[in-house]
Amino acid sequence: MIHIEAEPWAVMAAHAREAYPNECCGAMLGSVEGDAKLVRAALRLENAFEGAQAARYELRPEDLLAADRAAREQKMDLIGIYHSHPDCDAYFSKTDLQNSCPWYSFVVLSIRNGEFHHANSWLPNFDQTEAAKEELTY
Amino acid sequence: MAKVSIPTPLRQFTGKQDAVSVSGATVGEVLNGLTTQFPDLRKQIFNDEGKLRSFVNVYLNDEDIRYLAKSDTPAADGDTVSLVPSIAGGSAVAPPAGPANAAAELTKDEVLRYSRHLIIPEVGIEGQQKLKAAKVLLVGAGGLGAPLGLYLTAAGIGHIGIVDFDVVDVTNLQRQVIHSTRDVGRKKLDSAAEKMLAINPTLRVTKHETALTSENALDILKDYDLVVDGTDNFPTRYLVNDACVLLGKPNVYGSIFRFEGQATIFAYPGGPCYRCLYSEPPPPGLVPSCAEGGVLGILPGTIGLIQATETVKLILGIGEPLVGRLLLYDALGMRFRELKLRKNPECPMCGEHPTITRLIDYHQFCGVPAQPEAKMNEGEIGATELKEKFDRGDSFVLIDVREPHEYRICNIPGSKLIPLGDLPKRVGEFDPAADIVVHCKSGMRSARACGFLRQAGFQHVRNLVGGILAWSDQVDPSVPKY
Repeated sequence: MIHIEAEPWAVMAAHAREAYPNECCGAMLGSVEGDAKLVRAALRLENAFEGAQAARYELRPEDLLAADRAAREQKMDLIGIYHSHPDCDAYFSKTDLQNSCPWYSFVVLSIRNGEFHHANSWLPNFDQTEAAKEELTY
Repeated sequence: MAKVSIPTPLRQFTGKQDAVSVSGATVGEVLNGLTTQFPDLRKQIFNDEGKLRSFVNVYLNDEDIRYLAKSDTPAADGDTVSLVPSIAGGSAVAPPAGPANAAAELTKDEVLRYSRHLIIPEVGIEGQQKLKAAKVLLVGAGGLGAPLGLYLTAAGIGHIGIVDFDVVDVTNLQRQVIHSTRDVGRKKLDSAAEKMLAINPTLRVTKHETALTSENALDILKDYDLVVDGTDNFPTRYLVNDACVLLGKPNVYGSIFRFEGQATIFAYPGGPCYRCLYSEPPPPGLVPSCAEGGVLGILPGTIGLIQATETVKLILGIGEPLVGRLLLYDALGMRFRELKLRKNPECPMCGEHPTITRLIDYHQFCGVPAQPEAKMNEGEIGATELKEKFDRGDSFVLIDVREPHEYRICNIPGSKLIPLGDLPKRVGEFDPAADIVVHCKSGMRSARACGFLRQAGFQHVRNLVGGILAWSDQVDPSVPKY
């Protein structure tokens, strides 16, 4: 299960609203105790997808590397990635799956007409063929 | 000794160490050393064939080793090797329905709204979710686009894109029921989107305010699951077909003329495409558009709703799709017929050895100039010039090649009505040396008449550019337009 504290949650939701009608993306930093993940900070990252960003996002590995360093500096860990789905549900799409990594939690925020609607967290498998829903609280 | 920085999720395999020092002359050796030291880590980074997993990027300090010497990149003391996943995604492709991927879930309001769908076993919750997750592109917000937009919205399609750059004209209202009298002069996109959102405020509408061109078609179409062709011209029809074949997206096709319509699905896997049916476009001007030939206002409703039905069936995956069958509808006889369409193995687009592998210049292909030429060519005359000719009292003949019922709607005083089809047998009525001007409604039919007269030996024949519509615009506004 994953819990997102109020402050990072506000950052993520605001980021998703501001990026609307495009997708936003970012990193979630915090700590892991067994299966329990706690997100204590959210880091906005640039959507580097070249082309229409209404239904696509891409993270630059360099940005992710920097996020990992920032986490270490703040005595936290990089534990997840978030992105938004404008005007559709927070499912884990085929595109999401095919470009995922099993190491992290993937939180998807559904934004409808510019307002937050709902969110889900997903744990993709190694083969990028399936993602299990992870219990999410915020 | 290079230092390998371990991402948080992998530290469970390295005894909680966040960095491990490993010896090795190259990055490849360092990673081998690391995974020999921590065997459980191997599966995380390498696949069964020993290759780096597709989502793993390896960085030496701040550089991706793909841009250095890959695994042979030398690693020196003090270097840091990082494992960085490549991550991307987006809602672009809706997931296949399944327990792992709960697709577009229905809200309580939606369950109520679509209850008449939900209680049909072939649709049900799962089908309605598919409709909600579907992305459909309408090419054109005109006669066919009107019923399509309204009914697909009402049926619960989640995302509808519309390509159109036209404004609502009063002559559209006879059939384009998505537009109202008060919308005359507005962009069709705005007018249509407003009506659709009034039906379903949760609909996502994407307005593509542009003509579909070879440059933008693939980019616009790629984000949709299927395309519904509601265009009325050959260049766009071929363009939509070719783009759909290239992208592998079904093209739900419809066309209308006077009292007759056609519908089918092209570019469906295994099925024929538009070029299998018509490998070449007809000569320009041969097949009149609705503006030229007229159309029963109700007809696009019938054909558009056949397209809408096929669209919904395709999304739901139910019934027998209209693939390989051209449905012909005759409103006067009130009959439906079906022609078998076969995929042509020689088709230049979708055949076994396609010769067309990218989008071409469709205006050239169809022999239609991309833009009406602004400057007057030899053999053409403008409406104001024609007026001056009348005013000067020149001696000339003005031939109107429209049909008698059109002549009754409006005509230019002093013109002689000879419908295009009658021209060959009445050509003897004129002196081949006479000064002749020919007109029709917009200049298409009269251009063909001019060509015919010149071939018949007439030396001074000119076509009234823009037809009687231009006459009404530029000379005599009291002449009604139709």
